[in-house]
Amino acid sequence: MTDHRLIRPGEDGYPLGLFDLESPPVLYVLGETSTAPAVAVVGTRRSTRYGTSLAQAFGRTLADSGWTTVSGLARGIDVAAHRGTLKSGGEAVAVLGSGIDVIYPAEHAGMYHEILSGNGAVMSEYPPGTPPDRWRFPARNRLIAAISSAVVVVEAGQKGGALITARLAAELGRPVFAVPGDIDRPSSTGCNLLIRDGAFPVLWAEDLMAELELVLGTPPRERGKTNSEIPVTGVAVDDLPEIWGCTPPEALVRLARLEIAGDVRRSGDLILPV
Amino acid sequence: MYAATTSVALVGGEARSVEVQAHVGRQTEAFKLSGLPDTAVREAKDRVRAAVISAGIRFPNRTVTVNLAPADLPKGGTDYDLPIALGILAASREIPNLRHAVVVGELALDGAVRAGANALGAGVLSARHQVPCLVASAVATEAASIPGATVYGVSSLADAVDLLRDGLEGRAPARPGEQIASDRALDLADIKGQGMARRALEVAAAGGHHLLLHGPPGAGKTMLARRMIGILPRLEPAEAIETAMLWAAAGRRRGLDTTPPFRSPHHTASKAALVGGGSGNPVPGEASLAHRGVLFLDELAEFPRGHLDTLRQPLEEGMVSVARRGMSVDFPASFQLLAATNPCPCGFHGDGRRPCDCRPALLSRYRSRISGPLLDRFDLIVRVGRVEASEYGGGAGEASAEVAGRVDRARTAQAARGQVNRHLPPSADLFESPGAKTLVATAIGNALLTARGADRVRRVARTIADLEGVEQVDEEHMAEAIGLRGEWRDD
Repeated sequence: MTDHRLIRPGEDGYPLGLFDLESPPVLYVLGETSTAPAVAVVGTRRSTRYGTSLAQAFGRTLADSGWTTVSGLARGIDVAAHRGTLKSGGEAVAVLGSGIDVIYPAEHAGMYHEILSGNGAVMSEYPPGTPPDRWRFPARNRLIAAISSAVVVVEAGQKGGALITARLAAELGRPVFAVPGDIDRPSSTGCNLLIRDGAFPVLWAEDLMAELELVLGTPPRERGKTNSEIPVTGVAVDDLPEIWGCTPPEALVRLARLEIAGDVRRSGDLILPV
Repeated sequence: MYAATTSVALVGGEARSVEVQAHVGRQTEAFKLSGLPDTAVREAKDRVRAAVISAGIRFPNRTVTVNLAPADLPKGGTDYDLPIALGILAASREIPNLRHAVVVGELALDGAVRAGANALGAGVLSARHQVPCLVASAVATEAASIPGATVYGVSSLADAVDLLRDGLEGRAPARPGEQIASDRALDLADIKGQGMARRALEVAAAGGHHLLLHGPPGAGKTMLARRMIGILPRLEPAEAIETAMLWAAAGRRRGLDTTPPFRSPHHTASKAALVGGGSGNPVPGEASLAHRGVLFLDELAEFPRGHLDTLRQPLEEGMVSVARRGMSVDFPASFQLLAATNPCPCGFHGDGRRPCDCRPALLSRYRSRISGPLLDRFDLIVRVGRVEASEYGGGAGEASAEVAGRVDRARTAQAARGQVNRHLPPSADLFESPGAKTLVATAIGNALLTARGADRVRRVARTIADLEGVEQVDEEHMAEAIGLRGEWRDD
């Protein structure tokens, strides 16, 4: 953990977006920083299955387009976004609220190392060894907002870091996207509030990509086909006959073919698109 | 003065001869009973004396000694009343000696002979040794259903005495009873929707595969499981007898019912209740009562893990060994295991409508309550989701009788191959098409299947082909089996 670099503003690899901050900080960096446009995917730590699978899907889609995804290595939405990015072999950037060698939460050590062994980077403005004090996270969120060219809030409660990130991003002139949710679901209140206040509602993954293209320009990479056979939030096996309009044996045969072709995968009881 | 007759003890669901020896001595009045009797047998003394007097016969007022041999075989129940009574009467020369007869029955104080559990065993011994047997008239037709048995029904001790004094030639033996086919009232037509689970149930029935159903509460797991019996093939007469003998060993009468047994022990059942045991003469447990039928464990994850692991022996060997004080008894216990469980402690994991609020650690602990080796036994692990209110409006599901027709056809094909598909070893030739083989190999290559998972999938694919009535397992069958495979452990 000693091969980190210290990058000062203006030096090679310093994210240009940070110059929009009043006082651009020095950065401790592990891994490679890239020049590709970056999109932040953030949200609550107490995510639901809905949010987790969407964050993962967005991470994948963004990575497929060659964009970097930025998040905070936190539980819930953050780690799902990282995971999705890595699954597509994309560049994941984790901005920490602790020293660059302090993994918080500790159970995300695996993800931390996966990011580094991929094309990604881990960065922090705090010197190595800094503990994850609560008050550092809002400050960290300002870095996430500044590094990114756009911010997607997948799921957020009425209070929380994701809303701070969104507000800072809006102040810096970054477009903010929010995924709408049920109005009676506390885990979506924050996103719905953002939409009321002018954030772009993300109605489906393609919608997000089209809007991002308007803001960020043509994606660096042509995306492959998307799999529309299975809803992005996943579906239970026993619901397949109804969705596909066929008998259960036919649905099972079709499912097995999709699995073998690598187009869908199982997670516990759920079938998810790849 | 000495006489002996034969009665029955059930050991491990098998009938064994017990010699009932009676001696009437010259000493003062006494009644001694030896030969490892349990409390019920010891109480026979009082019933026998009262019944003999009620029958209008003098009970010897001298020393009566009764021994049940072999003395080391534990004997229980009330079925020794009648042989003890007849033995004493033969020893005191009231009736002819009846060494070459098997006698079973409980005596009421008024001399009436009541049906005990061992009548079937008497029939079995009668057929085995080519001797007549005497049982309560209420169960005479049942015992007579054992091929080769010569059965005489007696209604009371006086009736038995008359029969023996007049000679058996004077009376016609009982005729074999009709086989019962107990009502299979629960029909699959009652279940709306649940196409996937119904398919899994049909495949499980057709191949005898152990099936685990999991899903949120109220999804209908138990309803589905209880309808399994209605689509399974009926028992062969010999199987019905075998099952009834095991029930008799547990002190229960089943008759010659050709409906496969369905046992559903509660999760608070003890180990002995599940696999058999008890002090003295070991008694078969639920695993043996479900022999040739279905053992249904509802709320599987609520069963103590140690209890579930005792089921591994019957699942592997089709029988249970119960060791007791220098003797070990084997009870047949070849059953189809059917289990249902909630997906997590709160019950809503994977149910879109309500969030599951179980902590991840709690969820994985809940799931690990079912041990890996037991889980490996389930060829089919299937999710049962909640049925949408809109689906209730749909027409009735397919009736059990139609499904049972397909299951029968599949079982006939398996019988021709020699074994039910559940028991197919991985090395067996399953008549798979090259396409089917390639599909499994690809699935293993893509890490969709483990080697063990592939064995399960191949067995299930064989059953799917049998349901369709074709000899070769095609790619379609294999694909359906791959689609039908499920996981219990969360990844």
